[in-house]
Amino acid sequence: MTVTRRGFIGGALGAAAAAATADAGTVKHFEGYPGRYGLLHDTTLCVGCRSCEAACKEVNGLPPVTEPLDDPTVFDSIRRSTDTSLTVVNRYVEGGDDHGAVYRKLQCMHCNEPCCATVCPCHAFEKTPEGPVLYHAELCMGCRYCVMACPYYALAYEYDNPLTPKVMRCTMCYDRIKEGKLPGCAEACPMGAITFGRREDLIRVARERIRKFPDRYIDHIFGEHEFGGTSWLVLSGVPFRELGLDEGLTTEPLPAIATSYLGVVPLVITIYPGLLLGMYAFSKRHEAVAAAEREEAVTKALAEADEATQQKLAAAADRAAKDKQRAIDAAVKKALADAEKGGES
Amino acid sequence: MHTLFDFLTHTKGIAYVVAGLLLVSYIPFWRFLTERERRH
Amino acid sequence: MSEVAMDATPPEAPGKGGIFTPFNIITTVILLGGAAILGLRFTHGLAATTNLSHTYPWGLWIGFDVMSGVALAAGGFVTSSAVYLFGMKEYKPIVRPALLTGFLGYFLVVLGLLADLGRPWRLPFPFIKSAGPTSPLFEVALCVALYLTVLFIESTPPVFEWLGLKWWRKLVGSMTIALTILGLILSTMHQSTLGAMYMVAPTRLHPLWYSSHIPVHFFVSAVAAGLAMVIVEGMISHRAFHHQVEISAERFESINFGLAKAAAVTLAVYLAIKCVGLAIEDEWHLLGTGWGAWFLVELLGFVLLPCLLFAVGYRERRLTLVRVAAVITVIGIMLNRFNITFVAYNWNRATTEIYVPSWMEIWVTVAFITFAVVAFRWIANRMPVMYEHPDWKGVH
Repeated sequence: MTVTRRGFIGGALGAAAAAATADAGTVKHFEGYPGRYGLLHDTTLCVGCRSCEAACKEVNGLPPVTEPLDDPTVFDSIRRSTDTSLTVVNRYVEGGDDHGAVYRKLQCMHCNEPCCATVCPCHAFEKTPEGPVLYHAELCMGCRYCVMACPYYALAYEYDNPLTPKVMRCTMCYDRIKEGKLPGCAEACPMGAITFGRREDLIRVARERIRKFPDRYIDHIFGEHEFGGTSWLVLSGVPFRELGLDEGLTTEPLPAIATSYLGVVPLVITIYPGLLLGMYAFSKRHEAVAAAEREEAVTKALAEADEATQQKLAAAADRAAKDKQRAIDAAVKKALADAEKGGES
Repeated sequence: MHTLFDFLTHTKGIAYVVAGLLLVSYIPFWRFLTERERRH
Repeated sequence: MSEVAMDATPPEAPGKGGIFTPFNIITTVILLGGAAILGLRFTHGLAATTNLSHTYPWGLWIGFDVMSGVALAAGGFVTSSAVYLFGMKEYKPIVRPALLTGFLGYFLVVLGLLADLGRPWRLPFPFIKSAGPTSPLFEVALCVALYLTVLFIESTPPVFEWLGLKWWRKLVGSMTIALTILGLILSTMHQSTLGAMYMVAPTRLHPLWYSSHIPVHFFVSAVAAGLAMVIVEGMISHRAFHHQVEISAERFESINFGLAKAAAVTLAVYLAIKCVGLAIEDEWHLLGTGWGAWFLVELLGFVLLPCLLFAVGYRERRLTLVRVAAVITVIGIMLNRFNITFVAYNWNRATTEIYVPSWMEIWVTVAFITFAVVAFRWIANRMPVMYEHPDWKGVH
């Protein structure tokens, strides 16, 4: 088989390209801990019974639900999690003649690349191999940057606590799942709207549901890729925006966005000293050159003044000499004239 | 190193230490460079 | 032994007498009130003294004391760099007041943090217990801590001159260039990183304020803020310490005009960067919204306007215009930082959740500023800040 010139070049380029992608040293992609857990929240199955809220409070030793579970007026406003309610269920679409109401449960999404962990200056958050993102109160100084950063408004703070305030958020019942139990909310849900399992399995389950019931679901699993992906996956029958979730979110992990500028820090530290010392040296040199030029100008001016003075003195001496000569000549002339006159008489 | 967060924690931690050491070492370097000027 | 010459102490301020001056009474009331509120904060929590919420974890104490405070204290590194690194010796008379303002400003920042943090005694944790180097706040904390040290050392020459400690004074004098460079490095980093702290919240900060170039916006506006603050501070202290000032009125005016020229250019640069930002993100259509109108108020009323006032004031040598421009710029910086911290932040949340500072938060902030003013006055009344010590005239 003959190798044509085009084929050879094409082959060489192809080999170079393959080598470049194989050596992906500078372009990193992180898959996360394999086999980690997650939860699938199917909002088409949720009926807003809020059993999950009650279970969460009980499991975490928090004060019981303040609004009774059978009180429908609680859904008249959109609530958020607080320091005593780690999860809440909101009604986003009211029920009508041809469709039922749509509810969604809110809580920490346990992101694959948590931005709360990224922005914490005390490294008080940890993405565990099992999946949950944990908060370590013993390391926290209470700056609340995590509360400020969370795009899901999932974190709350104990503002009532004067000396030992903590960040409060869903923990995915870490202790329970380590024991092989279900998270409190998943166990309590009577409708199967919350499924606990390995994240990779849940994605398959979600895809399967969408495939089986295309009219029931929007063809999108929220949390699969948003901001790098979350452990809490959501299925919906209405556009996610109506549920307070922005499905147009970038897939770039928030830590990458949040820390992108920090790459400049080492550059500033290493470039500025040289740059600024250079400017300092330049300004000193500028001063020195200006001083030298000044000195030179003064010397020149003095020399010129000297010369001018010399010339003036010479001219004055010349004039004086000429005047003297003229005076002498005049006197001689007069004397001669006088002598001539005296000789005649 | 399974997550970007772990990677960034590791690399930035090292970067801070390295940059700090480089910054400090600039002073003896500058003094070495300008010794002749200071002798005059 | 102390060799302070007899004529080194500043002349007595006219009208000085007695402890119960109006100034002293008012400042004491403010400071005592602030202390009481802080006591309440540590006995009943932040909930009892602030209007902070889970959706608005940062309020006035972060928006003003930290964000605005750091920007307004930027006069220190701007003037010292101009004089010591770029050779602009004609601005030497304002370096010490600017550095002192800077030091007190950053000290105020730390005070604000200590009031706002959930557990302020754990402030050193990132350095001694558990570091989070991925966090922009970690970098800010590190830089501010180091810069506060630099500013502190740079503020000691007048103290050593006052105390007659010649050896110490010579020592810190020899470190001036290194400290100035370090100060410029640290300031560049933390001024811009305070902006970078908001990179993490693209969905929570309104797009007209959010940008991938927020760090640059923060740094440039900090330079403008520093210049404006030096003019404002000069306005007040020149009058308050007039009996001490040695430079002529013409010299002082020409310094102010120089600052005005620099401020005009800086504000013009900031305006340009914002416009380029609008173009890059294709946000022109947002200017027609309600938020767009507010954004234009900030950009045109508090950036373009003072820029023009500075320019005209410099061109026509009208000091009043320059001073008005400086005041507008200072307010504009605060407005910008407030917008980013709690006005345009959470712009898409329900209006029922809006944060408004409580009167106690405002009182504590005013108390911190009062403390800085009292400290400045105390130091300037005793130490060679507004004038040169006769033993050290003409020295670095």
